[in-house]
Amino acid sequence: MSISLLPDNPGSWTYRRFEDLYAIPREEREKLQLEAVRINFARMRDKVPALKKLADRQGVDHIDKIEDVLPVCFDHRVLKNYPLSIIENRDFPKLTQWLDKLTAHDLSRIDLTGLTTIESWLERLEAFGMLVTYSSGTTGKLSFVPRSYDELGPWKFHFYSVNRACSGVDHWQEKLPTFSPMYRGGYQTMMKMMSLFNVEMAGGEDHYHTMYDSHIPADLMALSGRLQAAEDKGEVASLGLDPALLIQRQQMMEQGRRREADMEQWFGKLIRDFKGQKVKIGGTFSDLYRVAKAGLEKGMVCEFDPGSVLLGGGGMKGYKDAPADWEDQIKSFFGVGKLGNQYGFSECIGNAPLCDAGFFHFLPYTVPLLMDGEGRALPREGVQKGRLVLVDPIPTSYWGGFTSGDEVEMHWDENCDCGWGGPRASKTIRRFAENEGGDDKITCAGSQAAYNEFMEFVQGVG
Amino acid sequence: MMDDMLEIPIIARGRLIMPSEGDCVDYAGRGGAGFRQADPHKHVHDIVLGDTSKLRDLHDTPMAEIIDLLSALGDRLKLDDNELLQQSFELALKAGGLEEPILRGVYDALPHMFERAAMIAMVDKTIGIDYIDGWVASAGRFESARIRAVGTRQLHITAGNVPVVAAMTVARAGLTKSDLLIKSPSNDPLTANAIARTLIELSPDHPVTKHIAVAYWKGGDEFMDSQVIRTSRIDKITAWGGMSSVKHIQKFLTPGIDLTALNPKYSMSMIGRETFASEAAMDEAAVGLATIVGFYNQTACANTRIVYVESGTDESEIDRVIELGRKMVRAFDLIPPLLSTPVTLRNRELESEMEAVALDDDFYYVEGDTLNGGFVVSKFNDRVDFYDKLSNRVVNFVPVDSLIDVVKWCDDTTQTVGIYPEERRDELIDAFALAGVQRLVPLSGGDPMTVYAGMHHMPPGSPHDGIEPMRRSVRWVIDMRPADSQAAQSIAAE
Repeated sequence: MSISLLPDNPGSWTYRRFEDLYAIPREEREKLQLEAVRINFARMRDKVPALKKLADRQGVDHIDKIEDVLPVCFDHRVLKNYPLSIIENRDFPKLTQWLDKLTAHDLSRIDLTGLTTIESWLERLEAFGMLVTYSSGTTGKLSFVPRSYDELGPWKFHFYSVNRACSGVDHWQEKLPTFSPMYRGGYQTMMKMMSLFNVEMAGGEDHYHTMYDSHIPADLMALSGRLQAAEDKGEVASLGLDPALLIQRQQMMEQGRRREADMEQWFGKLIRDFKGQKVKIGGTFSDLYRVAKAGLEKGMVCEFDPGSVLLGGGGMKGYKDAPADWEDQIKSFFGVGKLGNQYGFSECIGNAPLCDAGFFHFLPYTVPLLMDGEGRALPREGVQKGRLVLVDPIPTSYWGGFTSGDEVEMHWDENCDCGWGGPRASKTIRRFAENEGGDDKITCAGSQAAYNEFMEFVQGVG
Repeated sequence: MMDDMLEIPIIARGRLIMPSEGDCVDYAGRGGAGFRQADPHKHVHDIVLGDTSKLRDLHDTPMAEIIDLLSALGDRLKLDDNELLQQSFELALKAGGLEEPILRGVYDALPHMFERAAMIAMVDKTIGIDYIDGWVASAGRFESARIRAVGTRQLHITAGNVPVVAAMTVARAGLTKSDLLIKSPSNDPLTANAIARTLIELSPDHPVTKHIAVAYWKGGDEFMDSQVIRTSRIDKITAWGGMSSVKHIQKFLTPGIDLTALNPKYSMSMIGRETFASEAAMDEAAVGLATIVGFYNQTACANTRIVYVESGTDESEIDRVIELGRKMVRAFDLIPPLLSTPVTLRNRELESEMEAVALDDDFYYVEGDTLNGGFVVSKFNDRVDFYDKLSNRVVNFVPVDSLIDVVKWCDDTTQTVGIYPEERRDELIDAFALAGVQRLVPLSGGDPMTVYAGMHHMPPGSPHDGIEPMRRSVRWVIDMRPADSQAAQSIAAE
């Protein structure tokens, strides 16, 4: 064995160089992973009430082979299966009681007096030692990841490592001024990671440049759908929200409408100010493409130091009819040789970096599995396409097995041209449900029409 | 053709255009129900009617003659002896998602769409046979003003979940003396086709036959949409399925094209607290619910997906709601298989949702599955987030303090509301009508066929989703002749 890893502490694997982790021979790695998942499940099974309930129902007491874990992986919806009315009524005791079932910590000990907003609830949780972040999907309902400070170390080490894999820059050694056309602060998962990690990677607050210096409060994200409906009916007042929040909502919507122009102006200044310097650029690819396109149309290109790096995410979601060469346009405008990218879920610590051959490689502390449409495990050999399940054995305060809604093509043979090992996913990933419906099946019965204008404004799609 | 791909014709006003070498497109269809058709791009002129004067033949045909023809068509739409329908049935079985006995029941109902007495009543009630056959003078001193209902050129983007839509569309077009172009849905590409071909066999030269075109093209085929949807070619569009059918054609809509959007609808039921007073009442409500949830295996817009129950949320009260849910699931077995059966294919998406909420027993109680039916009881006053995914005979029971509270969940998308017991109806009907609800139906009767008949016993020509489609699909034209001078002066003086 090239490096020695302990199965009962997969968090410590994140301290290792990703090159060494990828180099572990497959058989050895899978043995280690099975052992780590077995130990982690045994530890968490009766400590996390929702896991206990699921495991009891499925009759799973221990993991003998890796596929045994499938029936006890949480569907990704579990992190948002609370009734929306709890959020609408800001019933924090109930919301806490709900979250308590997803963590090994005893949240009943938290003093909830005086809470009026979800933001303040998340702060209160953090003061208790939790590190709960949220993400919001297409319906606007928030999923809460029940992480705690127990997982901070491995999360940070992994994040530095995956950044180096994507960009070649070791941020333990080298700090880079960073531009991110986004908001700042708050508990949205990406935003929280920015505060926890990215700012330090940039060399401090002054070197981390965001387009806006505030963030969208979780309360507005959570209630956006409800607010829109209430507004249509002229009932906003009856929601009993803090007037300041409603003013902030108006501002955010205006900001959303101006966003493209703001972004061009903001980037324009950075491009001038940092000419010749080595920088790091982040953001969603659709935003970065908007900036690149506007710049190229004016005959402009950036003149940063050629060693500058760009790390994007989110695919081209939110950009309609992107041209086939959008990646090349981004590269030539920003003057970077490659587009760093990674794939993962906020529920799992170990995102997979994109290699030079165009595949996302999973590190040993993230165990990918594929299921078919019937929930059966697909063989871990050759090339397979199915619904992705990720098991994260690192967390010690929550259960890290999750079934995603993504359809992924996995390559199990470790023969990637890039030289990295580990199972890898093809770059094209789509929602699993898209496969089941068709593009023009017409029915008279109501279908999913959840539609969220506020988010569209904010994201600049509308 | 070399392979065994099902070939279907474009129906072009009495002619069949079969796919041929160099003029064919393969469509994947649904559930392996692929088919091959001639390339619609090459046949735009065969399916649209650019010259309105060509409507004259239909315009001059008396309604009685049209009804004779459609009635004879109905007689030929019997699954057992109509090969074309059998082919369509096979394909719909593969594609549409209805179990065989139910689909058979639906096909058996096709002739009913063409019953003579019903057709006469439909025209007479929503248009007036006099008005469609000729110019009708107004009464009294306005007799110089004559009014006539004139046929139009119509595009129907039909729904495929229930094949009767195709039959209904053919009947309505004939009864309004209109030119009909059906864009078939991918989940039922053949029913309209089979009906039109049967009509061609029956009477190839009849004006009704000469004014029916049926073709499939992919939703979002901009070339087709831009060619077809022009004021010079189409007067009226009826789009089933809401956004999924409207979104593609939206950009071609201009003033002059009248769009009737038959939006996707949700339906629900309401159970009053009286239900829990006796076991007999609970049983009767359960059978009513099982029927309105279960018919056509919950694929139609009129099927209940959410049941609002007047109940508190204490454990004992929730237990009674659970008991009602169990009785409902048991009552699914009482429904004859031509209306409802256990399904053969799980709905994984819905089951994942059910499993996710089942982990939280503070808020939800879950029982059953997507094969045999089941239910989710909310232990608080709100529906589940995934209410719009409820299918396969799975419903959400939601406790409410008072049935009148349910109004807040009702709007234009709320089609059919089942109610039990009957004594609660009068206090609720007007509030629900104003909120947007289109139909309030009974759940009483105690056996599935009685309940089913009770909720479908509507006179011909009744409103559909809040409108009268036939009345809306003709053009109302005024012919004003010189009035006699006295009458004219008395009007001018008013």
